[in-house]
Amino acid sequence: MNPLELTLGIMTAVGGFVDISELVFAAKAGSMFGYALIWVFFVATVGIMVFGEMSGRVAAVARQPVFNLMRHRLGLKLGLVTLFASLVSTLITCAAEIGGMGLILNYLTGLPYLVLAALSGLVLMASMWILPFKWIERTYGLLGLLMIVFAVSLVAIHPPWDRLAGGFVPQVPHGLSTKELLAFAYFTVAILSAVMFPYESYFYSSGGIEEQWGPKDLLTNRVTTTIGFGLGSLLAVSILASSAQLFGPANVGPEIPGSAALEAAIPFGPTGLLLALLGMLFAVAGAAVETCMANAYAIAQFFGWEWGRHKKPWEAPRFTIAWIALFLLALLIVMTGIEVMSLVEYAVLFSIVVLPLTYLPLMLLAGDKGFMREYANKWLAKGLGWLFFAVVTAAAIAAIPLYLLTSGGQG
Amino acid sequence: MLRLRILLPLLLLAGCSKGPGADLQYIKQARSLGAEWALVNQQANKGQVTKTYAASMHQWLRDNLQTTQSSLTQPDSRYGSEIHALLAQPDDAAPDELRSHVEVLKHIEDGLESA
Amino acid sequence: MKPTDKLKLVSQLIDLPLLDKDRRWCGVVDDVEFDGGPGKPMRVKALLVGPGAYRGRVPGWMFWLVTKVAGSRISRVPFNQIDTIGSAVHLRCPAEKLGLHAVENRVRSWIPRKGAL
Repeated sequence: MNPLELTLGIMTAVGGFVDISELVFAAKAGSMFGYALIWVFFVATVGIMVFGEMSGRVAAVARQPVFNLMRHRLGLKLGLVTLFASLVSTLITCAAEIGGMGLILNYLTGLPYLVLAALSGLVLMASMWILPFKWIERTYGLLGLLMIVFAVSLVAIHPPWDRLAGGFVPQVPHGLSTKELLAFAYFTVAILSAVMFPYESYFYSSGGIEEQWGPKDLLTNRVTTTIGFGLGSLLAVSILASSAQLFGPANVGPEIPGSAALEAAIPFGPTGLLLALLGMLFAVAGAAVETCMANAYAIAQFFGWEWGRHKKPWEAPRFTIAWIALFLLALLIVMTGIEVMSLVEYAVLFSIVVLPLTYLPLMLLAGDKGFMREYANKWLAKGLGWLFFAVVTAAAIAAIPLYLLTSGGQG
Repeated sequence: MLRLRILLPLLLLAGCSKGPGADLQYIKQARSLGAEWALVNQQANKGQVTKTYAASMHQWLRDNLQTTQSSLTQPDSRYGSEIHALLAQPDDAAPDELRSHVEVLKHIEDGLESA
Repeated sequence: MKPTDKLKLVSQLIDLPLLDKDRRWCGVVDDVEFDGGPGKPMRVKALLVGPGAYRGRVPGWMFWLVTKVAGSRISRVPFNQIDTIGSAVHLRCPAEKLGLHAVENRVRSWIPRKGAL
């Protein structure tokens, strides 16, 4: 294991963890419920660690990415339904990320939002055309490390550390009305969805194949998913905790994604604001690329096309057409003028419904000794995997009723 | 009598789709938007944010407040007037002035939630 | 696993991806064709690859939609062209010999060969 490669891999995972959905829901959760939803971020992060490690292990040992083997496990009919559902949810997520980029660039420059969103889309497409896979992943992931300003800002505002630490203990706050309880439940489901988005497993496992992982890379996989995702999740928790300290007492929701940057502006002024906005921009840009590529991977792998950005665009022509078309579709959604916050809500809602269909085949594959040999799930992966599968299934069932009952978390 | 039994729940449902109960989510949104506006202006007055950021946030906050106002089922209500008053403020309004309207909206919001 | 070994068609063959001799992805096993008949031994004669092979595996309306989007072609991969079967079906020959990369090669002509590092 190359220490430099491993470090870069972890840093990429950290910088690439937070996307527009986590940003929005972390800020709202902190404002509405103080530190009480930190444990949900913690639990969801363990969930994505478990399934991320499994998908990386499947890629390294079976040398097949998740969607190839998903069709084999689910069959054609259910596989097509899963493919369609995950394409829709990931496309909406991609649109939310591109819209998020347009918003952030508007906060930075004051130029028109839709023009900036369109330019963002074009720049992302150009970067995906020009750069090979490793550079795409590393560029956006490492630049996303600017998000560390949120963690530093949290320290600077001297939060009540004992209460913050208490937030890691599973809890439901006392004295909530029925409406508030339902809103709390909705945020629990939404945070689970935002952290465990299906595209993350597709992208991560396909990335393992792109980087030609083998059994020798299993330790890299384990370290990247645990330390990388763990540290990344602390950035999301920082946003929540700062919101609890700064926004909750000020009656701020927040309703505008740009308000999150105030968490760095309040302690550090314009420098903090700029670092926060740039960190948000690159984190969201990275997520836009990941979601688009995840969808293109899913289509190409499901139908057995050549795929991968370790190849030149003309060496995997249908895959190339797929990601270009998907990016343009996502851009079209943004150009309709639909609010980014609405896209975020729909992305989270659609994704949680797809999650059980995504993770069930992965669980079955990772436990199959025929494919995985001595690297099949042992007791810990099996136990945690089935536990989280039960959790995401319950969340998937509850998601739409909770959304309707709480008017999208408004209570 | 049968017609009344069918009509009554439908009338109740229709009643619930209008009025303060239905407007609660918009009152909350307006309260938050007003509070965000006040926070942005407070930080801008201290020089903690760039002029471009403040201007951009003002535009988005105002757009969202207008959307919230147009979604109200009872725009002539007390809360409708407060939202109207917020929108009448200049972009660089004093944070305390903005917060006075936020407090009223918060009070109305809390009253409706406990009802 | 070798093609001459005993196979479970559904769990060990159908819906597996195909890799040709040069390790290029070239489709998915969408269906199988049998040799033999009533009272005779049944053997797998060929793998069927392509959207046309979805007929009977998906509801009628779904098949109609698939053919509208992707066409109804079927490529036949004779069973004797299979080298090994594992998490993918590995073929003995290049994809072009079996007509498996026709669409890929057609689409390749649309992609400019410029600019990528």
